[in-house]
Amino acid sequence: MPPQANCALPHGFQLDQYRIERQLSLGGFSIVYLAFDQDGIPVAIKEYLPNSLALRKDGEVEPRVPDENMPAFRYGMKCFFEEGRSLAKLMHPNVVRVLNFFRANNTVYMVMQFERGRTLHDYIQKHKGEVKERFIRAIFTRMLNGLREVHAHKLLHLDIKPSNIYLRNDGTPVLLDFGAARQTLALDQPMLKPMYTPGFASPEQFANREALGPWSDIYSVGASMYACIVGTAPPRSDERVKQDTLQPITRQHASRYSPQLLELVDWCLRLDPLARPQSVYTLQKALMQKEAGEAMPASWFTDLGSRLKSFIGKR
Amino acid sequence: MRFTIYQESRIGRRKTNQDRIAYCYSRDALLMLIADGMGGHLHGEVAAHLSVQFITQAFQREAQPALLDPALFLSRTLSRAHSAILDYAFDKNLPEAPRTTIVACVVQENCATWAHAGDSRLYLLRQGRVAAQTRDHSRVQLMMDQGLLDAEGAARHPGRNRIYSCLGGSHLPQIEFSRRTPLQDGDLIALCTDGLWGPLGNEGVVLGLLGGNVMSAVPKMMSRAETIAGDGCDNLSMIAMAWHEDAGQPTPAAVSTQTMALDDFNTRMDTFQRGRGSASGAPNIDLSDDEIERTIAEINSTIQKFNRN
Repeated sequence: MPPQANCALPHGFQLDQYRIERQLSLGGFSIVYLAFDQDGIPVAIKEYLPNSLALRKDGEVEPRVPDENMPAFRYGMKCFFEEGRSLAKLMHPNVVRVLNFFRANNTVYMVMQFERGRTLHDYIQKHKGEVKERFIRAIFTRMLNGLREVHAHKLLHLDIKPSNIYLRNDGTPVLLDFGAARQTLALDQPMLKPMYTPGFASPEQFANREALGPWSDIYSVGASMYACIVGTAPPRSDERVKQDTLQPITRQHASRYSPQLLELVDWCLRLDPLARPQSVYTLQKALMQKEAGEAMPASWFTDLGSRLKSFIGKR
Repeated sequence: MRFTIYQESRIGRRKTNQDRIAYCYSRDALLMLIADGMGGHLHGEVAAHLSVQFITQAFQREAQPALLDPALFLSRTLSRAHSAILDYAFDKNLPEAPRTTIVACVVQENCATWAHAGDSRLYLLRQGRVAAQTRDHSRVQLMMDQGLLDAEGAARHPGRNRIYSCLGGSHLPQIEFSRRTPLQDGDLIALCTDGLWGPLGNEGVVLGLLGGNVMSAVPKMMSRAETIAGDGCDNLSMIAMAWHEDAGQPTPAAVSTQTMALDDFNTRMDTFQRGRGSASGAPNIDLSDDEIERTIAEINSTIQKFNRN
């Protein structure tokens, strides 16, 4: 029996110090709302509400959690806290910012900075087959600045995919949704099995979790670049392990993209974790040079511009 | 701190499980404890439960993130746990206070300190040998010390379950403390109740833990003890912890506390319903309302801290 979908809080609902505007997205574990704080500043609020464990019917505020689901519900809450804990420590222009955390309606909420723009997923849908190489290199190099920060805090994202990469209106990327980060915790909890988007998760996320590392996120980055070029996700890695149907894109898309970029994507998508680029830095370096000697603008690498902006913004 | 830890308790052939086990760690300190509620007495499991809960809570209050003095902590909280049991008996008008054995061990700053009352044991194994172990507070142990009984005789003695020190009951407990013992990479600390060491004996316990993989060794050993004990099998429990050097080889199941927040705790306390079978399979996570509030406050203070920079 598929679990019933949870109903979102209605427009105008006063949630703590925030007023709900509308629902932005609905996932298996949570609902994300657009809301305004007391000063009228827009924020994104993520509500912990796992579909399989808690149900909010239309017109109700507090979700119902059957007694037998309570331990699992609390356990999932622990994972939700882990996400908050991870994000609270990260302050980087390419990583979504957490602003507040609070408890209400028998569940918990994470308030994040609201970004205007659209997801890379939407962008790919709109520009299918026409995503430019220069765009790919620019977006991913900058997004990887954020991922480097994540890895520097000894965290893994584990759910990188185009719908979790947000493009601000000024074109800079932000890494969203750290829900899967550290969900290694939830492995023995059948109702809270980590949910991965097939195609973007590395093979070690399915089978061999001791092998998880930066290279696992790098596989997902490769799969996301692949989606930019091909228009769809690569075949699921757990299927690829059994029978690899992935055609190296070096051959298929040679007319529109440079061989160096295509090779880089194939490199990230290697099934053997050790055969991939081992660090984000390696990948970034490769993304920044088209051919030997031809370097991309240095500002992409350090993102000095946006760092400066965020610095000035706080004065 | 880096270590691998495993704990399990089984009901054996009894109607209830009166053993209580728990471990709890902060970034810099680890507590392990086992209590074996005394079956012949009223509410033995209540005494065991109260003690484990009381000591764990005290640890969470004081290990911020390390205890000031582990030995002092053990001496104070064990006697207070004893008083808590007496208070409970008084409140409930029980004709006598329930009783429980206790063995508790704190590891911090690379050293272990432990204390016990009764016949639940702690073994420190180094390179496959017993480097230290607790001495039971039992009649038969006293008789062995006086040369009146050998180990074989003790294992069959009809009074082998009689102990002279415990928490609760009408006498003050005689709590015995260890020295502060430095740990080495690969050391194993195992705490267990008589339901386990009884059928297996010292050799059985040491042999069972050889190889050092506590995750697989403990369940195997418990099954062996159940088989040997047969129909008379008592409740049996064990916590086993393998200590790893911080810079050592990465071990898959190991816990590293390095990245934990200063006031963060991980607690695992196994409790049992009456009768057999826990069925649910869900891990026992006590995320109390207090903990939720504390976690939220902690996350918000982190947010504040990083936003100010």
